Amino acid sequence: MKQAELNPAGPNPAPQAPRQMAAVAELRWRIFVNSLHTFRGRLELASRIFVVIAFVAGGIGGAVGLGGAAWFLMLEENAEWLGALLWPVFLFWQLFPLMATAFTKNLESASLLRFPLSYRSYFLIRLAYGSLDPATTVASLWLLGITIGIGAARPRLLPWAAVVLVTFAMVNILLARMAFAWLERWLAQRRTREIMGVLFFLCILSLQLISPLVAFYGHKSNPETRLLGQEFSQVQRPLPPGLAAAAIARAAQGQHWPGRFYFLLLGLYGIAFLWLLNFRLRAEYHGENLSESARRKASPAELPAPHPGWNVPGLPGPVTAVFEKELRYLSRSGPMLFTLVVPLFMLVVFRSSGHNQDLFAHAPELTFPLGAAYSLLLLTNLSYNNFGADGSGVQFFFAAPVRFRQIMTGKNLAHAAIFALEVALVWLGTSLLYRPPSIRVTLATVAGILFALPIDLAAGNLFSIYSPTRVEAGVFGRQRASLTTVLASFGVRGALFSGGALMLWLSRHYGNSWIVVPLLLLPAVLACAAYALALNHIDGMALGHRENLISQLGR
Amino acid sequence: MVTPTIATENLTRRFGDLVAVEDVNLRVASGQFFGFLGPNGAGKSTTIKMLTGLLAPTAGRIQILGLDLVTNMVEVKRQIGVVPEGMALFGRLTGSEYLNFVGRMYGLDRETAAKRTSELLEFMQLVDQPKTMVTDYSHGMQKKLALAAAVIHGPKVLFLDEPFEGVDAIAAGTLKAMLQRMIARGATIFLTSHVLEIVERLCSHVGIIHRGRLVAQGSLEELRAGVEARAAVLPEAATSDGSPREKLTLEQIFLRIVGGSRAASQELSWLG
Repeated sequence: MKQAELNPAGPNPAPQAPRQMAAVAELRWRIFVNSLHTFRGRLELASRIFVVIAFVAGGIGGAVGLGGAAWFLMLEENAEWLGALLWPVFLFWQLFPLMATAFTKNLESASLLRFPLSYRSYFLIRLAYGSLDPATTVASLWLLGITIGIGAARPRLLPWAAVVLVTFAMVNILLARMAFAWLERWLAQRRTREIMGVLFFLCILSLQLISPLVAFYGHKSNPETRLLGQEFSQVQRPLPPGLAAAAIARAAQGQHWPGRFYFLLLGLYGIAFLWLLNFRLRAEYHGENLSESARRKASPAELPAPHPGWNVPGLPGPVTAVFEKELRYLSRSGPMLFTLVVPLFMLVVFRSSGHNQDLFAHAPELTFPLGAAYSLLLLTNLSYNNFGADGSGVQFFFAAPVRFRQIMTGKNLAHAAIFALEVALVWLGTSLLYRPPSIRVTLATVAGILFALPIDLAAGNLFSIYSPTRVEAGVFGRQRASLTTVLASFGVRGALFSGGALMLWLSRHYGNSWIVVPLLLLPAVLACAAYALALNHIDGMALGHRENLISQLGR
Repeated sequence: MVTPTIATENLTRRFGDLVAVEDVNLRVASGQFFGFLGPNGAGKSTTIKMLTGLLAPTAGRIQILGLDLVTNMVEVKRQIGVVPEGMALFGRLTGSEYLNFVGRMYGLDRETAAKRTSELLEFMQLVDQPKTMVTDYSHGMQKKLALAAAVIHGPKVLFLDEPFEGVDAIAAGTLKAMLQRMIARGATIFLTSHVLEIVERLCSHVGIIHRGRLVAQGSLEELRAGVEARAAVLPEAATSDGSPREKLTLEQIFLRIVGGSRAASQELSWLG
């Protein structure tokens, strides 16, 4: 059949890229406006405004600081040290989007492929909308500050510095987009996703080693430190921040051709990142198949032997079933497993900072309680978004003949068990790395946990029902509880830790450190009662919010 | 008078100004295979969600097995099985772990849950994927698993929302075999489907909802007789040669009841 027969009015005009981009912009705007029709959406907007103000303040503050530093370096004829300013900008630009996924949200641009987009439009949309994130905004402000600082000190250098730093910004944008595009490709499949999760987590952990390294080399004599600085200077020079700094520094020294050469190398980085991004997006555009079902290998059929579920004495069957299910889920989440190691790792980090600089060297008795408090913070994504990983499975909880309080009990027990394991590991780590905590400190910490944990779990249960967020395993930026929940959890933890600190202060005030145990046990009893009370009302709350839960998590 | 297995009284659900379901009075007797039909957006899924406790009605009453759903929610849920829209699976469990979990949530002891899990996996031909997580199952396998989960506790009533959607002929055959066994055991099945041929072949009784209102309910023969009786009084209904009319299919009955002929005669300006 000819096209004309299908479409007697003639073929449609070829879609124009600007119109398509405008349509996508309008789509995003409509989604935003529609989200304001719900209370949750308005709350999320309020949280976002708060975060944006914080980012803009950080951006302007950083711009002033970096601009001042650039001005000083140029006046002091130390332009080669500009690299020391550009490296933090570079690292923030590349690492922040990965580390602070709660604050970023990506456009699901792959879903646009069903429309008649030209490859150019698709590429531009991916590049443009993916770049509108807090890291780009803040880092751009910082670069603007550096440019102004250079211009204020050496006005004749301003045009060249602006060209170099704009190119540096473009390289950063291209690198970030390229990295995300490849990460999304690897995250599209569960197995590679889990491997990436572990690698990502190890990278985050390794950042914690910066402080001990600084402390270690801080002890070295000036010549040694200078030598190390020179070595680092050599290593960083061929990388984008080093090249951008060298391009400006050489021009400042009147060596224009070497400056242009470094600028050319910087541009080559941009071209390389562009090529890699293009390579990835082109494969996406042509509809690569990442289906895991298609890759599944058939294994020989065999009737599995009956394998009963877990049996936890004293717990009803449904509570045990939920407890088992939660722990099985966690055991299959590589990054979550590695979070168990974090408190211990932090102890090692503090320990290797050196005795003189060690925070705990001054107050070793604080090691165990602070480690326990840190462990509680790690539970946020689990306990404040209880149903996030369940997705549409949450419907089952409403269809099953089980009270919601039993489901919550099972989940809370699983989270409490993980927390107890972490606290035990922290106690062991403290004993091995420092010294065993005294009985008084151990009891006081346990009393503090008995006070904090029930309140934290009760608050987490409420936020899990009122502000659920589906946890998408394969997409960056959708991994965490909602922004409202994250901020609220900070508030709850702040209040709890302040309460604990107040008890400690009282015990010091009265000169009796044992008094902190009963002082914490009394509110612990009240906290348990509050938890039980909240749990008793959870069925009504869950039923009242079942539509929201099912629709939010089943998307 | 025998108490119906599923009965609703003026069941109504509003979403703001939109009335999704209005004054629906359903009657489904014990042992019936009941097909619940309607055009898109007619209120099928909303109704089945209310019948299974996934959605609160704005007004009206629901009785399942003679028990009021609101006041006996847990007791009712214990006796029903549900395959809801979206299937309600837990993706990061294996099929075996998932069925074990569901069995225990329905109050089965560990050994019984494990034994039934094995049988169900074999019956549903899912035994060749013992280590595969549910999230990696194909759509048809997920449907089979969802149905297996809905029957693991031996429910008296089964609610299925579009159980054959996206399922190939082989998987559909397995599902149908399972449902027919359930009916033979005396269970009651309430299903929604867009595939009228399947409903016609499987279901003994049918209800049709249109724009939120229940517009027809009864056995296929009753519905056919009703449509034919209505058609008989219209002058264009008689055949030109006076020969007996062919038996109406469910699709014809459905289209006549919901008035689906208008769209066929419409034209789109740019398609001609």
